Amino acid sequence: MAYNLFRDIEITGHIDSFNSPKDEKRLIPKWLSPLEPHQRHHGVRTNRVDGVGNWFLETNEFRNWSGASGGDGYVPPVLFCYGDPGVGKTYLR
Amino acid sequence: MIDHLCDQASKSDIAVVGLYCDFLAQHEQTTLNMLGAILKELINRREIPKHVKQAFKKAKRESSYLRPRLPDLLELIKATVASLPQVFICIDALDEMLPKHRSDFLRSLQGIVRGSPNTRVFLTGRAMVLQEIKEHFPGAVMVPISPTKEDVETFLVMKLEGDTEPNAMDDDLHTDIMRVIPENISEMRVG
Repeated sequence: MAYNLFRDIEITGHIDSFNSPKDEKRLIPKWLSPLEPHQRHHGVRTNRVDGVGNWFLETNEFRNWSGASGGDGYVPPVLFCYGDPGVGKTYLR
Repeated sequence: MIDHLCDQASKSDIAVVGLYCDFLAQHEQTTLNMLGAILKELINRREIPKHVKQAFKKAKRESSYLRPRLPDLLELIKATVASLPQVFICIDALDEMLPKHRSDFLRSLQGIVRGSPNTRVFLTGRAMVLQEIKEHFPGAVMVPISPTKEDVETFLVMKLEGDTEPNAMDDDLHTDIMRVIPENISEMRVG
C-alpha cells in the first residue's frame, strides 16, 4: 500500500528539505487518507433546503445524544438514523 | 447535522467529523482510508498533535511514507480524541460502503468509542444495515427517518421558486402540486 503519495515532492528530489511546519501541515493530512470529506460536505451544504429535517434536531433522541438536554445523566453515544434512499438523511442539518 | 453540531462546536473546542460513503467511491472507502479521514478531520484547522507528527516523521524515515497500519492508526485516533474535550463523529450512508470494509470499519469505530466517553457517533444508512449496527453497538439508539409533510412543502416551495419554465405553470397547477404531493409523502424524496 505504498501509494505514490508525495509524487509531487519526490519528483523534485528534495525529500529532506520539506520538514518545515508548513509542509507538515500540508502533507500529514495527505498521508493520513486520500479521502476529502470536506469537499463532499460543501456539496451537501450547497444543495440543502433550509428548514427541511429541522424537526429531527428537536427530538429527544437527538437532544439526549448531543447532550443538549442532560436528562438523567445517561447519554447514548451512538445514534443511527435509517430510512430509504431519498428521505433526507444526508440533508439533516 | 454536521453544520448544526459545528454551530455548537464553534463556541468551544469540540471537534466535529463528517464522512460520507458513496457507491461511486466504494473501492477508495476502505477501513484504513475512512479511519485516516477521521483523523484528518480531527486535526483539521487545529495544531497537529505531537504524536501524529512523530508518526509521520517515522513513516517518512523508515518506509517512504507508508500510511499508518490499522493498530497504529487506531492509537493515533484515540490519543487525538483524548486530547479534545468532546468529539462528534458523523458517518453518512453506511449502506454504500462495501460490506467487507464496513464490518472492519464498524469494529474499529467501536474500539474508538469504547475507550472514549467524550465521543458521540452519528450514523445514517438504509434499514438493511440496522442489524449490523446493533451487533457492533448494542446500545445504539435507532431512529427511523421519513420526511414530514412540512418538509415536503418546504422542499416543493423551493423547487417551484427555482422553476426554469415558469410560463408552463398556472395557479391551478400550483395549487394541485402543493395539495396532492404532500399528501403522498411516502413516495416523496427530499434528498
